[in-house]
Amino acid sequence: MRKSKPRKKSAKKKKTKNTKRSFSLSGLLFNRYTFISLTVFVLLFASYLLHLNIKITEKMSGRIWSLPSHVYARPLELYQGKFLTIEQFKSELKQLGYTQLTNRPTKAGQYRILNNSHFEIISRDFTFWDGKQKSQGFRLSILNNQISVLHKLYSDETLSIFRLEPVKIAGIYPSTKQERQLIKLDEVPDDLVLALLAVEDRRFYQHLGIDPRSILRAMLANFMAGATVQGGSTLTQQLVKNLFLSPERTLTRKINEALMALLLEINYSKSVILETYINEVYLGQNGAQQIHGFELASQYYFANSLRKLRRDQMAMLVGLVKGPSWYAPRRHPKRARDRRDQVLKLMHEQGALSQAQLNKYLKLDLALSKKPRFSANRFPALIDLVKRQLKRDYDEDDLKSSGLNVFTSIDPIIQSQAEASVKRVITQLENSNHSVSDLQTSLIVASSQQGEIQAMVSDRKPDFPGFNRSLDAVRQIGSLIKPAIYLTALQQPQKYTLASLLDDSPLHIKTSREQLWSPQNYDKKFTGDILLIEALKKSRNVPTVRLGLDVGLSDISDTLHNLGVKRKIPTYPSMTLGAFNLSPFDVANMYQTFAANGFNVPLKVIREVLNKDGLPLKRYPLKSEKAIDEKAIYLVNYVLHEVTQTGTARSLAKALPQSLAGKTGTTDDLRDSWFAGFSDNQLAVAWIGRDDNSSTGLTGSSGALRLWTDLFRHLNIQGISPGQPSGVNNRWIDVASGGLSEKNCQGAVELPFIQGSEPTEKAECKSAGIIDQIIHFFN
Amino acid sequence: MPFKYLPVFILLLLMFTGCTQLKPASVKPAESILPITDSVNLPDVIKTLLTKSDAQYFNDNFAGSLATLERAVRINPRHAEVWSRMAQVHLKLGNEEQAIQHAKRSNSVIKNNIQLKAFNNKIISSNFLNKSQEMSN
Repeated sequence: MRKSKPRKKSAKKKKTKNTKRSFSLSGLLFNRYTFISLTVFVLLFASYLLHLNIKITEKMSGRIWSLPSHVYARPLELYQGKFLTIEQFKSELKQLGYTQLTNRPTKAGQYRILNNSHFEIISRDFTFWDGKQKSQGFRLSILNNQISVLHKLYSDETLSIFRLEPVKIAGIYPSTKQERQLIKLDEVPDDLVLALLAVEDRRFYQHLGIDPRSILRAMLANFMAGATVQGGSTLTQQLVKNLFLSPERTLTRKINEALMALLLEINYSKSVILETYINEVYLGQNGAQQIHGFELASQYYFANSLRKLRRDQMAMLVGLVKGPSWYAPRRHPKRARDRRDQVLKLMHEQGALSQAQLNKYLKLDLALSKKPRFSANRFPALIDLVKRQLKRDYDEDDLKSSGLNVFTSIDPIIQSQAEASVKRVITQLENSNHSVSDLQTSLIVASSQQGEIQAMVSDRKPDFPGFNRSLDAVRQIGSLIKPAIYLTALQQPQKYTLASLLDDSPLHIKTSREQLWSPQNYDKKFTGDILLIEALKKSRNVPTVRLGLDVGLSDISDTLHNLGVKRKIPTYPSMTLGAFNLSPFDVANMYQTFAANGFNVPLKVIREVLNKDGLPLKRYPLKSEKAIDEKAIYLVNYVLHEVTQTGTARSLAKALPQSLAGKTGTTDDLRDSWFAGFSDNQLAVAWIGRDDNSSTGLTGSSGALRLWTDLFRHLNIQGISPGQPSGVNNRWIDVASGGLSEKNCQGAVELPFIQGSEPTEKAECKSAGIIDQIIHFFN
Repeated sequence: MPFKYLPVFILLLLMFTGCTQLKPASVKPAESILPITDSVNLPDVIKTLLTKSDAQYFNDNFAGSLATLERAVRINPRHAEVWSRMAQVHLKLGNEEQAIQHAKRSNSVIKNNIQLKAFNNKIISSNFLNKSQEMSN
């Protein structure tokens, strides 16, 4: 027992001792856990901060925004004598978003019209590929659809030429559909900065990203009101929210916002943050496009640069920050005006406006410009072509996000004429013949000599962004091939001339598959011998096949390639009647070489590309190559002109007074109706067909030619006037025999010949009757 | 003897210099623009653009000069003077093929301007000369 007591005691002691140890151990353990936990927490928090910091710096040092590329039309060149109707000029100014006044224009982007033909205009600054053009006031008069006067505004100094800024016709957008135009902080008016800070963040230059005072003030105000009536977010926090975070209202997002705002302030100066905010802030919606940044908003609402706005206009823009939809000025002008007035009063409180100025501005209307159409893709087929040509030099991502400025040759005036012609003629064709329906079409217009695409329609509904028939519909070209065959022949002047006799009698050819092919003329008749010029003019099939086989199919293929056709050309006999496929764009390339008298100029639509800062990136210069002998092409063009006078396109001679050239094309079962033709300044290719390749019931003359004629009636056309090249001489020829004749002989026609190829045999001359002589006289 | 090979050296030197003298001088691109040869028949708008293009040319802004000439071509492609200038700028830029093509284009629209035609032909033929030299080298 005795032994046990001390044992108990010692046990108790031990227990006490143990308890003491356990106490200190647990304390020690607690401290260690706390320490570890704290360490882990600090490490995690630091890692998280580091992660946020990397996120911020990566974005801020790289490309902050995806900037869409913008596509511009050609700039309108104004000079005395230029063909321009009053309506066309008004339309151009409207598309540029100019404001028409009844008083004198005083600011860029304004104009007035006097007596319905005299314009007083102040243009805007614009950066072209070759430099910046400053705003210029000028006076322009239009008389008889021509510019008759071009002077500096309120001066007698003549302007020999002035280039109006181009219309923005489309954007190539990133998936976010954000539209913005960047501006540097030193270009932002001080009054806008003052108004912005007065309304959104008065202590911007004092706080470190978050402002506890503002938060407390907002909490108190919200508590008193029982709802959220005031925000405590600084500009930095708003920027963080817009740039890095989702719009959800959660505690986690709020914490992240505060942390990132602090980090942003640590990493970047107030100027950088303010400039980024000014370019980032969302200020409205234009269809699918979001308007971001004050500079773009200024152009969207006032059609003017931010630097040129009045203070009341700046106040309206600042007022929009609170709620661009709620205060949308075009939809809710009263709300927008009330909000603007609030901002103006705040500016007055801050000393930015005197009482008199405040009173003056409060009386002013919003003075919004007309809603611009800059973001809509109005010309889907053309923009598709622009994108395809750009993709040769730029990545898809760069196109959508690098803010390229793409200058093109697209002419909105010609494009709208082409669209109107398509709608008009397709409707007429379907209404005049009820068996004709579901017609589809392509219409391409280019400058004859420079090969610049000016307009393109690829659907009967021109703004429908579907299948691009102009580029991708490869169809048989029928008789459009014939000029290439006759050109191949006429390049051998010792063998073929316009007066050569061709055989128009039944023809049977064994094909490579041991089948018999018997080509027919369109009228199913044969004329016997026929002059080469007549065979082409009247588009005779059988003599053309014979001629094609004689000159050689591979030589014809070579000629087509020299004319600018890039596709592989098959070399079977029926190719001589155009039984192979080309797109309307290929045909336009081919006929451009005829239009430019043998100089092949690959068709292009892009002129220049500038980067987002307006610095030149790439120019696409005019390239041409003498591909065909000028004498041979002169002879073919002579016949193509005859086609429009007395041949298959003779309706043109009645419809248009100018001298034109062209060729009709019709394919088997009337599936495709073509016309390719040109004046001295315009080339156009028209195609009408059906997507299921069934019959249209239309020939080249009754379908595509009507479309072509309708378009050319509305364009400024200069007739062809190719000077006869040296080495080409005219001779009188007997139509029946092709022998030499004389002016007063019956059936004599005057034809051009390459020197040395003139016929030597004389035909019998029967004196022409008085009627023939009169016809000769008028010819 | 250090002078032992002197006659041989002199002979080689004479041969070398003689050979270099025999080689024809290469045709240099035009250093300056041909003045307007037919200002009477040029409208003011074209003259203004030619003057601007010349100024850009003399400031070594050859791409700008070409861009201005293209504006003139768009207004009227039938002025031989403009195509000829494009040929000259291309020659300056070393684009000999385009220089020849534009000179040919100028010739194709030329009207009784012997001086300009001779100048275009010089561009065309001097480039052919350069090419034949390259081939013979």
